Amino acid sequence: MSDAAPAVADEADASPASGEPAPDVAIRLETLTKRYPGSAVPAVDHLDLTIPRGELVALVGPSGCGKTTTLKMINRLVEPTEGTVWIEGTDARTLPAHQLRRGIGYVIQQAGLFPHRTVADNIATVPKLLGWSRERVHERVDELAELLGLDADLLPRYPAALSGGQQQRVGVARALAADPPVLLMDEPYSAVDPIVRARLQDELVRLQRQVHKTIVLVTHDIDEAIKLADRIAILRAGGHLEQVGPPEELLRAPTSEFVADFLGDDRGIKRLSLITVDDVALREGPVVGMTDSPATARAVMADQGVDWVGVRDGDRLLGWVGAADLDGEPTLATAPRRPFRAVFTPGTTLKAALDGIVTSQTRVAVIEDDQRYLGMLTLDDLAEGVTEGSGEPLEAVGEDAP
Amino acid sequence: MGDAWSDMWTYLGSDAAWTGRNGLPLLLWAQLKLAFAAMAIATVLAIPVAAFLGHVRRGTLLAVSIVNIGRAVPTYGVVALVLPFSLRWGFGLGFWPTLVALVLLAIPPIFTNTYTGVRGVPADAVEAASGMGMRARELLRKVEVPAALPLILTGLRVSAVQVMATATLGAVVGYRCLGTPIVIGMQRQNKGPLLAASILVAALALGTDGLFALVQRLLVPWRRQPAS
Amino acid sequence: MTLLASGPLIDWEWIGEHLDVIRAATVEHLQLTAIAVGIGFALSMALALLALQWRWSYPLLAGFCSVLYSIPSLALFGILVPITGLGTVPAVIALVGYTLLILLRNIVAGIEGVPAPVREAADGMGFEHWRRLARVDLPLALPAIIAGLRIATVTTIGLVTITAYVGLGGYGDLIREGLRRQSAPQASTLVILGTGLSVVMAVVFDLLFVGVEHLATPWARRPRLAPIEPMEPVPVAAIPAGGSLSDG
Repeated sequence: MSDAAPAVADEADASPASGEPAPDVAIRLETLTKRYPGSAVPAVDHLDLTIPRGELVALVGPSGCGKTTTLKMINRLVEPTEGTVWIEGTDARTLPAHQLRRGIGYVIQQAGLFPHRTVADNIATVPKLLGWSRERVHERVDELAELLGLDADLLPRYPAALSGGQQQRVGVARALAADPPVLLMDEPYSAVDPIVRARLQDELVRLQRQVHKTIVLVTHDIDEAIKLADRIAILRAGGHLEQVGPPEELLRAPTSEFVADFLGDDRGIKRLSLITVDDVALREGPVVGMTDSPATARAVMADQGVDWVGVRDGDRLLGWVGAADLDGEPTLATAPRRPFRAVFTPGTTLKAALDGIVTSQTRVAVIEDDQRYLGMLTLDDLAEGVTEGSGEPLEAVGEDAP
Repeated sequence: MGDAWSDMWTYLGSDAAWTGRNGLPLLLWAQLKLAFAAMAIATVLAIPVAAFLGHVRRGTLLAVSIVNIGRAVPTYGVVALVLPFSLRWGFGLGFWPTLVALVLLAIPPIFTNTYTGVRGVPADAVEAASGMGMRARELLRKVEVPAALPLILTGLRVSAVQVMATATLGAVVGYRCLGTPIVIGMQRQNKGPLLAASILVAALALGTDGLFALVQRLLVPWRRQPAS
Repeated sequence: MTLLASGPLIDWEWIGEHLDVIRAATVEHLQLTAIAVGIGFALSMALALLALQWRWSYPLLAGFCSVLYSIPSLALFGILVPITGLGTVPAVIALVGYTLLILLRNIVAGIEGVPAPVREAADGMGFEHWRRLARVDLPLALPAIIAGLRIATVTTIGLVTITAYVGLGGYGDLIREGLRRQSAPQASTLVILGTGLSVVMAVVFDLLFVGVEHLATPWARRPRLAPIEPMEPVPVAAIPAGGSLSDG
């Protein structure tokens, strides 16, 4: 099920070189095939895929599915046996390979920074190849250092002095230096430890919001793909495209057993990481004012069927009091009060909220904005939010959307 | 070249090549004697000291310097250098100055490799052994030296080839060995003996290398420690 | 044969009177070294490029160079002289032969030592093949290459002394002359002078190369103590770059 492509052709985007209008499609892979000598089965078998402009498309699949080979056919590090790569409407083969690559950013797993050049020189590599003036290069390096969060005093140093995470950032800066419209990333975060990886991923998301590059990212980590991609293409051995679409769609409606397996048996929970709290309706919950009487509190508990009650003081939710703690207390204010452990802001993902609900004693997630109490969520609320928020319930494999 | 080759066969066919003071067997024996003596002395001098230093982990500077100085000093020079002193102190020409020179040449590779080998024995192996109650001497003998064996053998090998080759130069300070027909042959254009002795010496050097390679493979059947 | 009288070990007066001889010997020594290392480098570079292009040839080439290296210098001269006569030709052939192994090994090791990700990144960024070789591979191979040149030069300086026996000069000639004049007081002077100057020249060049290495590779670290390996075609990872005379 390959992605349908283009909208109406926009003249401004038409590429003069080929006469083929290339509206919001940055890259198109057409029956792309790679056969290696001595191997009966092709590494990539007649792959058709469209990469819309400004989107981050993740190529995901198990080892040997041909995702890296496919990526490398875009910048011709691997030459296709059959088929065509169209970049902005032009056949990638019409340009000399090295020239093509100067217009495409390339980031690899081990960064591949030049050990014999300083960080600044590394970043400046492609601009210098393109013949930019020294001032322009200098400016651009500073710009990128800031964009990527690299300290200025790292610039004159050599890569060996940098940590793994810093090196990866330099790698990305270097790829973006000449401001290419397309960025290719081959498992860029696989070689760093999980904490650094999470940070780098967040930075990429932030970066993408600012620069809107067309990014093709290869990864074997489905969670990474879900986190980063606008569109995910799941590949099977031989470069066969199993399914392509936004992460939400894949998670909700996988079209085959393979895709479902690849997504994992926690698809539902994975979907939760795509929805945030502000998409869901909050409830007031069993909350009483500090000045209310214990009797009122008990009534609320009975009414809502819980054994605790939240205590608020104006806008602020102070904590909760258990039914047992109320015994013998003259007022609510004197009763021993415990803090809510699962407290989140509106931008939090439902997955994080779920984690909070499951681990708290009260089985709720409290939502606050700057200490201001907004409401709370229970498990039921989450389930409803998933179906309401994005429209449809989780489907069994292969079912069509209602 | 053709007639040098035939000269050589003529020479080899003659009596002169095989009998008498300048006969090849005698010259060969002289060379072997010298080489063995030099290696034996150098080994006895170098290995214990290097092993000890390696054990106490001191003397890297010495080991590095010895190698570098050894590389910079020309072997010919060493041989020639010993001569004035030898003459001065009454040891005469020939055997003694050459022996001293050869011993000096043989020491660096043996010393450095033994030192590096012993020093490079993993610290935890040493700890385990001393934890079992071994004293320093036993430790050296039973743990460190055997572990360092590959490198020590390599050092011996490099040394041996060098000694065997340089023994040839003994001829220039009057030691009658395989170098003699070479030096004289070059002076007097005696192509036959010149070629015969040269080929013999070359074979000797290659053979020594091969022999040690074999010994290495027999004594150290596991993979040789790579240099780093 | 007269024993050496107990004269001074070094006759400084004699040295003072014969500075021109010493200068001539120095020039000759330098010339031979330069020619031998120069030709050796060019040849090794060619062989290295061959070996890198056709991998299977490397063990063969390295094996051949290794055999050549194992042949004692005097013996190699002895084999060459009947063919070429005396003089510069056999000397240069032999000297070049001795540089081949270390240079070939180090050049190949240097270029192979360029990390694969760096090469891939360079290609991916749009370096043409030749530009990558020149701007990335070669600079990164430089430390190994310079180390090889350093060892080759120091070794050659030592070997040039033996070329005295094929009729050439250099410091070897001084030594040889000293050996000839067993009785004369200058004998020991000549021998010590010849050997000493050879050592000095070797040290000077060694330091020079260390300097070059430091200047050319600001990103590299110092090599550490390496055991002496026989000059045989071991896997390229095991190159003994060696310390330098000036190393701590």
